[in-house]
Amino acid sequence: MKIAKQLLQALLLYGIFLVGGWLQNTLHIPLSGSIIGLLLLWIALSLKIIHLKWVESGAYLFLSLLPLFFIPATVGVMNFGPFFMGKGIVLIPITIISTFMTLWIASFVSQSIAKHTVKRKEESECN
Amino acid sequence: MQLITLSILFIFLTIGMYAIMSFIYVRYYNALLVPILTTTTAIIIVLVLFNVPYETYMVGGKWIDALLGPAVVSLSIPLYKQRKLLKQYLYPILGGVLVGSMVGMISGVLFAKLIGFSKEIVLTILPKSITTPIAMEITSGLGGIPTLATVFVIIAGLTGVLFGQPLFKLFKIDTALGRGIGLGVASHAIGTSKAIEYGEQEASMSSVAMTLSALIGSFLGPLISWLFY
Repeated sequence: MKIAKQLLQALLLYGIFLVGGWLQNTLHIPLSGSIIGLLLLWIALSLKIIHLKWVESGAYLFLSLLPLFFIPATVGVMNFGPFFMGKGIVLIPITIISTFMTLWIASFVSQSIAKHTVKRKEESECN
Repeated sequence: MQLITLSILFIFLTIGMYAIMSFIYVRYYNALLVPILTTTTAIIIVLVLFNVPYETYMVGGKWIDALLGPAVVSLSIPLYKQRKLLKQYLYPILGGVLVGSMVGMISGVLFAKLIGFSKEIVLTILPKSITTPIAMEITSGLGGIPTLATVFVIIAGLTGVLFGQPLFKLFKIDTALGRGIGLGVASHAIGTSKAIEYGEQEASMSSVAMTLSALIGSFLGPLISWLFY
């Protein structure tokens, strides 16, 4: 019973994904069909057009297997073996350094803004 | 008939290998054993050993690949459920995601361009900090190579998993917000799996940051590409 419910909900999510793809093609939106579907679902949930319980367990079924769905794409790396044997190898340290910078800056900025706003709130409460 | 047999064979190979690697990851919890990395490696080894080209593997693989779209749609659920936390930390989250995404894209593009890589390659490295399906979409939209983009996405993910802890110590990132946002923005889903180890707050922040950076990146990518070319 639970599995039947999850599959039905998964089907609904697949439908939303198809609508997203259709909107992308018809309106030439510069976003992927899946992201448009994500936004559509978020709006539908916020406006209570779709209730959380209609999609929740199906969504967690998809999310629990998320890495699995990546694999056919990541196996495609095998076609690039020769690329990383040559000059392409330099792109690996570039990716690592650039990601390190991203991690540092993103965490630093969010933490600083949060500490700043909390301080301001405390000050205004004292006044 | 042969096509159906091949499809079933490769679907089972993928699911079976993933099940084994997930079990190993849970058993010997280690950052280097993330199933996405180990399963991919194992399947590539099998395909190379049996001399199977990627295109043949995809006869079955495409059925699993087809579920990536609705799985991304499903990310809407945690985002919706965490809307209160999102609202409470709206500015820190938006600021961190926006600045972080810009730094990630611009630095990657800049380094690759300075070293003299072709436009096609430079635009392929651009969305490396964004979760795989969307990174591939962004890359293909810009005229890069989507399958190659996944290589950079995986390297970016593992960088966060391996260097996150020492970086947080070095730069005194001591809040759940900072750690979660950093891992989500820089290292997407793989980073989020690391954030879960820190705690529930880090995990939710990281998944919000990962989703937001995919969203913002879909707009930011074309803009940065336009700035450089």
